[in-house]
Amino acid sequence: MKKQLNLNVNGQDYEVEVEANRLLLQVLRDTLDLTGTKEGCSIGVCGACSVILDGRLVSSCLTLAAGCEGKKIETIEGLAKDGKLHPLQQAFIEYGGFQCGICTPGQIMAAKSLLDENPKPSEEEVKEWMSGNLCRCTGYYKILESVMAVVDGKTDPNYAFRKRETTAKIQSLDVYKSVAKTSSD
Amino acid sequence: MSKAKNFSVVGKRVQRVEGFDKVTGDSKFIADIHLPGMLTGRILRSPYPHARIRSIDTSKAEKLRGVRAVVTAEDTIKRPWGAFFADQYILSVGKTRYVGEEVAAVAAIDPDIAEEALDLIEVDWEPLPGVFDADEAMLDGAPLVHDDKPNNIAMHLDLERGNIVQAFADSDIIVEDTFTSMPQWHCAIETIGSVAEYSPNGKYTIYMNTQTLFNARYRIATALGVPETDVRVIQSAVGGGFGGKSCDDNNALVCAVLARKAGKPVRVINTREEEFLAGCRPRVFMKINVKLGFKKDGRIRAKELKVIADNGAYSAKAPAITGVAAMRHDTCYKYSDVKLEAKLIYTNKIPTGAFRGFGNPSAEWAVEQAIDLGAHALGIDPLEIARINAAETGYVSPHGNRVTSCELKQCLDMVENMIDWKAKRANKQPNTGMGLACTVHVSGKRHFGDYDGSSATIKINEDGKALILSGEGECGQGVHTAMCQIAAEELGVPVEDVEISRADTDLTTFCLGAFASRLTYVSGNAVKNAATNVKQQLYEQAAEMLEANAADLISRDGRIFVQGAEGKSVTVADVARARLFRHNGAPIVGSGSFDADSVLPDSTRFGNESGAYNYGVQAAQVHVDPLTGQVKVLQMVVASDCGTVIYPIGAEGQVEGGLAQGIGYALTEGLQFDEGRPLNPNFSDYRIPSMRDMPPLQHAFADSYEPTGPFGAKGLGELNMDPTAAVINNAIFDAVGVRVKTLPITPEKILRALKEKKG
Ligand code: FES
Ligand code: FES
Repeated sequence: MKKQLNLNVNGQDYEVEVEANRLLLQVLRDTLDLTGTKEGCSIGVCGACSVILDGRLVSSCLTLAAGCEGKKIETIEGLAKDGKLHPLQQAFIEYGGFQCGICTPGQIMAAKSLLDENPKPSEEEVKEWMSGNLCRCTGYYKILESVMAVVDGKTDPNYAFRKRETTAKIQSLDVYKSVAKTSSD
Repeated sequence: MSKAKNFSVVGKRVQRVEGFDKVTGDSKFIADIHLPGMLTGRILRSPYPHARIRSIDTSKAEKLRGVRAVVTAEDTIKRPWGAFFADQYILSVGKTRYVGEEVAAVAAIDPDIAEEALDLIEVDWEPLPGVFDADEAMLDGAPLVHDDKPNNIAMHLDLERGNIVQAFADSDIIVEDTFTSMPQWHCAIETIGSVAEYSPNGKYTIYMNTQTLFNARYRIATALGVPETDVRVIQSAVGGGFGGKSCDDNNALVCAVLARKAGKPVRVINTREEEFLAGCRPRVFMKINVKLGFKKDGRIRAKELKVIADNGAYSAKAPAITGVAAMRHDTCYKYSDVKLEAKLIYTNKIPTGAFRGFGNPSAEWAVEQAIDLGAHALGIDPLEIARINAAETGYVSPHGNRVTSCELKQCLDMVENMIDWKAKRANKQPNTGMGLACTVHVSGKRHFGDYDGSSATIKINEDGKALILSGEGECGQGVHTAMCQIAAEELGVPVEDVEISRADTDLTTFCLGAFASRLTYVSGNAVKNAATNVKQQLYEQAAEMLEANAADLISRDGRIFVQGAEGKSVTVADVARARLFRHNGAPIVGSGSFDADSVLPDSTRFGNESGAYNYGVQAAQVHVDPLTGQVKVLQMVVASDCGTVIYPIGAEGQVEGGLAQGIGYALTEGLQFDEGRPLNPNFSDYRIPSMRDMPPLQHAFADSYEPTGPFGAKGLGELNMDPTAAVINNAIFDAVGVRVKTLPITPEKILRALKEKKG
């Protein structure tokens, strides 16, 4: 039985028609093409599918999409605003809080839901909270460091991201007219 | 004086090249790849550990609406394949040998229909008696897993170097014990998956989350019976490998067969349960009897190892792994006389295979505890025993492994200081203890053909940026970043100006992939050689522009100038464009190769297996609650010798991640088998460590330089998985005087041992 649903994801309204038994994870990934949310265990244990639902952290692999009607859903895709990363995203790069990155969207959403509620958690509180998000690569030390860097305001405000626009440093790409020149400076 | 050299990019805390994509969720893992018209494939798996297939009827499944293809062995050429022994098929031929084996498969327009179709496939089974224990499997009259393997023996190694009888006779004390390790699953958070497409002209294009692309291509081509060129493997982002994604399973093969029959792209992704049953090949489980003879002063005089390894139903890489378990650790200490016997035995269980450490964790679990037994028997501090016997630069092991750099003794000093070894031991608290172990690993291993090399191509784009084309296997460990740093260092450009492509067997040159801690070392050398080649071309062009001699030029920060006359310079971009946009123009592009100076071991397994050896030491302090048997790891310290550290954030991550897997291996990871069937194959019953399970950790890298490595680097990835279980158990013994001899070390086993000790 298909069902009409109105979902609000990252501030945007979507109207979708899905089977009544579809999970939020499936609708996000397969219907809305928001594949940043990952699947790791399908039984609510690993946290890879973590999203924030009306301010609460949930496993989208256990959440029926039909139950999300009228609620606010936040996913990893909504974190960066106007090309500017969320402080947690920056911290994970700066402090190496990931290796393969498959658990990372879930880790970041879990940390965000904690910090939204309590911007100054202790290290112990972070450890307890984040223990629902498994990571097989990092041993967690750098994930903890990344989250604590945000808590303690230690991220670098002038951090230069490795992005493709660093090309801009090289003069405009006027290749077809360019004449190689020797510069003196 | 420090061995470290001064570099401008190497050794700096640069960003991961894929950082942005990873934190925004934009990285395209296998489940994120969508091709137009793509179908979902699902696999029918054997419910029996051992059974004959009398017949398979797929007609009902084929008729289900939405089903596009149903395949069985009849749709394959039934050619056996395997990494070392060809003993497995894409889909069962006549017989299944473990629970989870691939029997048939379906492709349908959605997952629900595919699942429904599986239920409609009718298999006429004849269950056969199975064999589930390696010791029983060797007995005469035991059921045979493969008819042509008498006593289920897949491999038998029996070697002696020196004179073992004499060596034990010379020893002042002898210790001996038997330790059993358990299978360990990789538990990469992303399971194995593939997306395959077949074009009627005969070409397969397969997206895979593999860590070894060219090995994958070779095995796929073999099993499908087509030339390698007809198989293109493109790597998706890989959500964790650890050896589990090195293509010893059938996922991509089934996917390819479905795609050909359906005439549409097909995706097959393992569920978590399938991953446990028949996906990644878990660590080979071994029973190891170890006997060591010592002189009174602590020198090891003799070593004898007897290994019985459970291969499971098919061999994958277990033959090489069993050899490593029996021999690799002889490169850690200075041994003269050693004997080893290793048997690899078929059983009706999941095939075992490569997992970070490749035999070494099982070996170190046994041998490093025997060293500890020796220390206690001699009344010598275990750290001193290690120091007395530690390998050094120039050591040649009894098996011919030649050590070109070794800072094991420095690592022992570092660990001693970091954990305050002497003071803590002097001031021992009740039920609290200290333990340590040493570890060794390779930087590449010569065993796939007589080659342990890598190759890379670098091209300079019109904007002056360098692009590395490499077919090696970035699988999350961050080696692409290290490769960019190596290229940037050699080219004299900022690391931000170096990019790297994903591997693709049609576009990148032959590479063996990620295993044996080889990439920083072998692919690092190949990238460096490619960069040297490209730099030469840049200098030749720049020399013309600067009216100077190419030999007098140097480059820094993306500019090329005459040494000592920095005022007049050209940018790499200027040079690349000048070389291209003119008569007889050409892009700047160069390749580089490297093959390690190692030796393919001979029929007695003698020969220097790797170009370089990496070393380390771990120590732990634990507390054991004698009432509950609970172990709390109070502190761990780690020192690693990986030569020059190229990419510190990544290197630290390898240490920390390896350690976490070692802690899981030691304390929690294990599944019960019932008649060959793993019980509860899921993440709630198979417990990998979470954040709260990790102990306080301090770690550091030795001051070290490997002369054959790129800028002095060698391998690191597996080193810190290897010794952790022994470290923790040695500390438990120091705390409460008992040793649990089978992994994992659970509170129940500790309580039982404590009770036995009381009598
Ligand atoms: S996939 Fe939802 S918790 Fe693991
Ligand atoms: S970074 Fe790979 S699972 Fe966490």
